[in-house]
Amino acid sequence: MTASTFEQVRSVASDIFGVPAGKITAESSPETIENWDSMQHLNLVLAIEEKFGMQLAPEDIEQMKSVGAIVALVEKLQSAAR
Amino acid sequence: MAIVIQPYRSEHEPAVAEFNQRLRQAGEDDNMVFYRWAEPRWLPRRGESRIYNEFFVAIDDGIVRGGYALKTQDFFFPDGQTRSIAYYHHPLSEGIVNKAHAMVGTLLLRDAMLRAPLLYCLGMGGYDRPLPRMLLRLGWAHSLVPFFFRIVNPSRFLRNMQTLRSSRSRKFLMDIAAYSGAGWAASKLFRGYRALLAPRSPATECREVASFEADAMGLQSLWEQARQTCSFTAVRDAETLNTLYPPALKHLTRLVLKRNGVAIGWAVVGERRQDAKYGNLRVGSVVDCFALPGELLSVMRGATQKLERQGFDLILSNQSHRAWGEAFKAAGYLPGPSNFLFAASKKLAELLSPFEEVRPRMHLTRADGDGLPANF
Repeated sequence: MTASTFEQVRSVASDIFGVPAGKITAESSPETIENWDSMQHLNLVLAIEEKFGMQLAPEDIEQMKSVGAIVALVEKLQSAAR
Repeated sequence: MAIVIQPYRSEHEPAVAEFNQRLRQAGEDDNMVFYRWAEPRWLPRRGESRIYNEFFVAIDDGIVRGGYALKTQDFFFPDGQTRSIAYYHHPLSEGIVNKAHAMVGTLLLRDAMLRAPLLYCLGMGGYDRPLPRMLLRLGWAHSLVPFFFRIVNPSRFLRNMQTLRSSRSRKFLMDIAAYSGAGWAASKLFRGYRALLAPRSPATECREVASFEADAMGLQSLWEQARQTCSFTAVRDAETLNTLYPPALKHLTRLVLKRNGVAIGWAVVGERRQDAKYGNLRVGSVVDCFALPGELLSVMRGATQKLERQGFDLILSNQSHRAWGEAFKAAGYLPGPSNFLFAASKKLAELLSPFEEVRPRMHLTRADGDGLPANF
């Protein structure tokens, strides 16, 4: 996990969930962030797609269970696109 | 294990039952459960049928975490083409009771959009509900389907309409209006005024039929002539009517209206299922209707008279087509606040473009939703 991708994902998550970026860790998930519900999950998916210029398939969305998992997913998709 | 969304099969039924049990245990409404049986009771896919329901379930290591339904049906489009499109309904995610599954709602919707890019939603209960909020966020085109109501029995309406009797002072005033006859007088006055303004209908025969099959030729001709008045409508040809409104659906009343032996329109009416907001009112519904140009009011009057004779206190309908809305108003209906939404996926909206121009002539009724056969 690169620091750069993590910071970018954390920034997106902070905006969507209304949580200070400093409180978001790789382990943050729907169970630890109060506002992370179905609606905000969709907002997160759309924001990640916009931020990183990618289209997430259902199997990608399914992996987005924590901030760390999202970072790993973004990096995997970015390296596959190179 | 990854979540896999796949067609709901009979071997999934025990896992769906457990999913429903978890929702109930978490305090969800008894209606917030997924279908018990894998094969749809209404419109199962059979042979070459153009209208059918399919169910899908989201499974994670053998455990069902959600599901949704698609109703596939032919629609007539503004370009004169007929296309098969799908209606996304009954999405249900375990995310509503367990945030660990928050992603399931998005997964279900994305899966449906991949299976059926020409996708729409209808009803949904208002813009503040989760599904419409998601659809708007995804950039779907949307509009409210206008709601119309006609008070047949003002006294019972005033005494039973729970959503209006929301405070002691309101209850008091409504009781006074009910018992003094003021409500009845106001209703008569309004209807008399409307009747004066409305054009007279030539003599029309309104006949109740057990099946639309006997009138198939006339109704097919009616469809072919009248569809051009709609920019977008579910195909309502003779074969479709027989599929949607088979004689087995005894709670629906099928009406065919004729003049000089020629079909000028048809309507399907029925009783709405009990709802606490209507108290003990008997609530009738104009579920669906179609008519030749210029004959909408005749059809509406025929349908209304039938429901009045059946003893309903209140009659409701949702109609998106502006001309049908005018016909309802001319027949003594009032427009009311609607929470019945239509939303079209981006791909579907491209075919309905420009949406604001197409919208007034879209013909959508409660029959286009998940309402049939019981929940209209």
